[in-house]
Amino acid sequence: MLENVKMPEGINKDVMEHLMYPKNYGKLDNPSCIGIATDDKTGEYVIFYTLLEDNMVKDIKFATNGCQDTVVVGSMYTDMIKGESTEFASKAIGLIAKKLGSNMSKKQEICAEMVLNGFVASMMNYENLQNGKEEEAHILKMQESCLVEEDNE
Amino acid sequence: MNKIYQQKHELWLHILFTSFAINDQTIKSKLYDFSQIAFRHMKWLGTDILENGDDYNYDRNMDLEKHSNVFESLNTLKSKIEDMQNLYPDTTFGERAKTDDSYILEYISQVLEDESNNKEITAFNMKREWPEAELDSTQTDALTLFLFEETYKEYELILVYAYMQARTKNHLHFNVFQDLIDESHFHLKSFGEMLAKLGILALPRELHEMTYVVKDLEKFVKDGIAEEEAAKEMCKQLSQDINEPKLSSFFDFINYQESYHIELMKKLL
Repeated sequence: MLENVKMPEGINKDVMEHLMYPKNYGKLDNPSCIGIATDDKTGEYVIFYTLLEDNMVKDIKFATNGCQDTVVVGSMYTDMIKGESTEFASKAIGLIAKKLGSNMSKKQEICAEMVLNGFVASMMNYENLQNGKEEEAHILKMQESCLVEEDNE
Repeated sequence: MNKIYQQKHELWLHILFTSFAINDQTIKSKLYDFSQIAFRHMKWLGTDILENGDDYNYDRNMDLEKHSNVFESLNTLKSKIEDMQNLYPDTTFGERAKTDDSYILEYISQVLEDESNNKEITAFNMKREWPEAELDSTQTDALTLFLFEETYKEYELILVYAYMQARTKNHLHFNVFQDLIDESHFHLKSFGEMLAKLGILALPRELHEMTYVVKDLEKFVKDGIAEEEAAKEMCKQLSQDINEPKLSSFFDFINYQESYHIELMKKLL
């Protein structure tokens, strides 16, 4: 699916679909784990609700107050990993970052990284819960802010 | 009560986006006025809920049905309004809302009686052609991304400011929130109608509570000012990229409005 992705120029049908109708957007009622990636500089966040069953991503939803790039990547990524193993989801993180990275501006790469961090945070929350730790959601703070990058560009 | 609030929220969006979708200026304008009334219903209902010690959220569960003609669209809207009738509380507000909705239903029935009103709806044709000027693909893409970004942002701002306005005891803050809500309604209308003209009208995505439950007003305002600055830059950039006199002039106009939003927001600090 990502072979056809070109951002930001040349919006194709696939990207339009994700822009207009983001997939897996919202909340899950009974997730196994919740992860949040935040950018303190901009106040933006991505939150992931992940439902795991036998090491499979049975269901997944995300929400964000971020830009459309974040929404499109979140929509594509969740669409890609839903119904797949957690192992695939972890590999897909590397795959999607690499593929999108070559087509995107630095700012957009950071948006994509925030999506991926949101999912990673949900996996960390799961691990913590399995280890008996009480944690409503795991939060990962972004090292780089898209605001800083914009200033530097 | 949250269920009623959610239905009212959805009905506001249904009326608003039906107004955006329809090309006939008279019907569009009437529906837009009705959408503003529905938004005030939301506000009054929210106030009643809070006064009763209860709470509400901005969850929603709706799709925007893509109709190809005015009658299909109005018939769907009519059934949504009718569904709401039995849900209103038995209060003064409930009576007012029912009376308003009855009038809207009557108006819709009048429109449906005249076959000449049944024009084509082009808001969902996916053509991405700007009817007032010829834009190349780069200009069209820039405009598309900007409109999706900003329709969500304006929807978000309306709801966040309304949420905070409903909970403030500070008169100055209340008035500033009202000004910002009014301004954002105008922007949402402008951008929503532009999406419809391009044939790519879609609902803005739902708000998560992390967006509207504000715990730190100062940080919220500072982030908001940074966002307004970013929106100004986007408008300026878009105006240059598109380089089409009418559109550029419109985006410059929006850009100056964003500047004043920043001044309004500073009053909250």
